[in-house]
Amino acid sequence: MFKLPKEVVDLINDPESIKIVATADEKGNPHCAVKDFFTLLEDGNLAFAEEFEGSQTNVNLVRAIWFAKNVELTVRGKDGTTYQIKGKPYKYFYTGPLFEKFYLAAREKWGPDSELAGVWVITPEEVKNETYEVRKKEEDKKHPFFRHLDRSSVRRTKIQNSKSEISN
Amino acid sequence: MENDELGFEEVGRKYPDFPRTIMRKIDTALRGVILSEKALQRAKEEDALYDASADFVGQCGFDLDKPALKVRVPVSAEALPVIGGVFFRDGTYVLGLESVTRGLYSPSGTLVRKGKPYLLDSVDGELWLLDLPREIKLPNGISRGEPMEEVYFAPIPAYFSKKTSRGTPMIKVISSRAPNRITINISDYCHFFKEKLSCKYCSIIPWLLHKGVRTLVNLEDIYETVNEALEEEGGFTSIHLIAGSDPRGVNQNGSHRGNSPYENEVNEYVEVLKTLQRCFGREKIPVQAIASAFPREQLLRLKEVGLSAYRSNIEVWDNKLFEWICPGKAKYFGRQYWIDSILSAVEIFGRGNVSTQLVAGAELAEPYGFKEMDEALASNLEGVEFFARNGVYTTFCILWVDRGSVFYREKQKLPSLEYYVRLAQGINEIRKKYKLSSDFNDYRRDGFHPDMDLVRLDYNET
Repeated sequence: MFKLPKEVVDLINDPESIKIVATADEKGNPHCAVKDFFTLLEDGNLAFAEEFEGSQTNVNLVRAIWFAKNVELTVRGKDGTTYQIKGKPYKYFYTGPLFEKFYLAAREKWGPDSELAGVWVITPEEVKNETYEVRKKEEDKKHPFFRHLDRSSVRRTKIQNSKSEISN
Repeated sequence: MENDELGFEEVGRKYPDFPRTIMRKIDTALRGVILSEKALQRAKEEDALYDASADFVGQCGFDLDKPALKVRVPVSAEALPVIGGVFFRDGTYVLGLESVTRGLYSPSGTLVRKGKPYLLDSVDGELWLLDLPREIKLPNGISRGEPMEEVYFAPIPAYFSKKTSRGTPMIKVISSRAPNRITINISDYCHFFKEKLSCKYCSIIPWLLHKGVRTLVNLEDIYETVNEALEEEGGFTSIHLIAGSDPRGVNQNGSHRGNSPYENEVNEYVEVLKTLQRCFGREKIPVQAIASAFPREQLLRLKEVGLSAYRSNIEVWDNKLFEWICPGKAKYFGRQYWIDSILSAVEIFGRGNVSTQLVAGAELAEPYGFKEMDEALASNLEGVEFFARNGVYTTFCILWVDRGSVFYREKQKLPSLEYYVRLAQGINEIRKKYKLSSDFNDYRRDGFHPDMDLVRLDYNET
C-alpha cells in the first residue's frame, strides 16, 4: 500500500489542521466539505467521520466506492503547509469499534444530541505537497516564462532599486 | 442457474450502471453463504459471534418434518451460533446467511438456493466471499474458491448476553437483524395458519398455533430490553414491530366476534407502543409497524400512541395471483381492502412514512404465475407506480422457498439474478420519479431490500 510521508501523517494527526474532503457527483460537479474527525489507521488507510447520511459528500462517496472513483483529501496546517491526497473509498462502517470510537468523539465534541452517520476509510494512492512556497518553486522551475515580470525573482523592484541607489 | 439465464458477469456487462456490490448481494441471497471454520473463529475474536444455544433450549423450534406442525419440540443442544451480520465494504448487508444472522426467528437454514453457495473465509488476514465453482490454484498447489468481494463482520449487540429481571434472555425479547434496527416480534400467532390459509411462501410457523390464542411478549421484558439496547451508544436508529396476522375483532367483553377488523392485532401493537413511549419519555417514537391492513380507525389509534411509520405488505400485485398466493389476506378482507388500508395510512402517517412490500419471485410460481420475466416485471412495476402515485413506496424482498412453506412442498424455483436486478432498477426509478423518501426500510435499518440499497445515491434529494 502507498505510504504517506511522516510530515503528512503529523499534519493529519494535528487536531488544529484543516481537513477537506473533495468528491464529485454523477455529472462530475465537485463538492468539498470540511471534516473534523480524521485519522490515520494502523494499516495506512485514512478514516474520517461523516456526520450525515444525506450529505452530498456521503452520496458521492457511495457512488465512488460502487464505481471505483477517486476522492481527494486536502489537509492544511497552521503554518500553511498543505498536502493533497488522492485515494479511493475502501470501507464504510456504521457499526463496530472504529465507528464507536468516532461516535464517542463526536459526542464529546458536540454533546448528547450529536449525530454521526458513519466512518469512511480511504486508501491513499498519491500525495502531493500543495504548500504555496513548494508549489511556487516547482512551477517556476517547470514554467519559468509563466512568471509575472514584476516579480522580484525576475526584475529588481523599485524599492530594491532605490535602496541600492541610497547605499551607493 | 437455468440454462438460458445470464451468469453474474454477463448480467454485470448488460447492466453496467447497476452497482456490482448490490448485484452480489442479490446473488448471495440466491446462492446462500456458508462460513468456514476460520471465519467462525474470526467472528468469535471480533465479538461478532454469540452462542444462543442456552437461551433457546426447549423453547423454540418445530420439528418441520412432522406432518402436523403443532408439536413444539426442543431444539437440539448443539451450539446455536448467531453472528452480528456480514457486510460488503460499503456497508451493504450480505444476504444468504439467514440461519445464523442475529436471527431469533430465522428460517431453519433449509432455504432452497440457486447454484453453489459462496464460502465466507479468511484470506491473507481479510474476510472474503469466495466463489466455490471458480476455483483458483495457489502456488502451494492447494485450490480454493476465487475471492469475489471483501467483507467484514459487525459485532453482536451487548444486550444479547443479558437477561431481564424476570430471567428472560434479552435476545429472545428483541432481535436485531440489521445492525441499526431493533425488531420486536410481539406475538407468535398468525391466524391465517390456524385456518390453513397461510401465504404460500411463508415458512415462519407460529409457535403458539395449537393454542389458537395470541400471547403477547411480556411488556416489562420489552421495556427492560429496549432500555438496555438503547444504552449501546450509536447502536440503533429504528424500531420495527412485527406480528402475525389476526383479522379477528374484539367486542367489549373480550370475546372474539369481529366488530372491527384486526382489532386483536392492533391492541397488541398499542400495548407495545405505550411501553416504548415509556422507554423514550416522549409521545412520538421512531417505530414502524410491519403489520396487517388495518382500518382507518385502528390506524388512528396507532398514531395516537406514537407510531411513526406503517408498512403493510401487499406481497403480490396481480389480483388473481394475490388470491392464490395469499389466501388469508384474500379472505380477510380482499386485495382492495388491503390497498385501501395502505392508502388511508398515508393521510395519517404522511407521505413517505407508509410502505408496502412485494415478495418478488412469488408472482412467477407455477402453475398460475407469470411465465415471462417481462410480464412479471410489468405487473410488479404497475403496482409500485400505483402506490408511489399515492405517496406509498414499495420495496421487495427476495423470495424464500423454505421448509415449512407451501412453495417448498411444491418445489418452486427462484427467479434469475437478472430478474431481481431489473426489478430493483425499475422500483428505484419510480421512487425517484415521485421523490419518495424511504428511510425506515433503507440499507442499514432493514438490509433485505436490494432496491433500497440503490436509494443511497439519492439521500441528498429525498
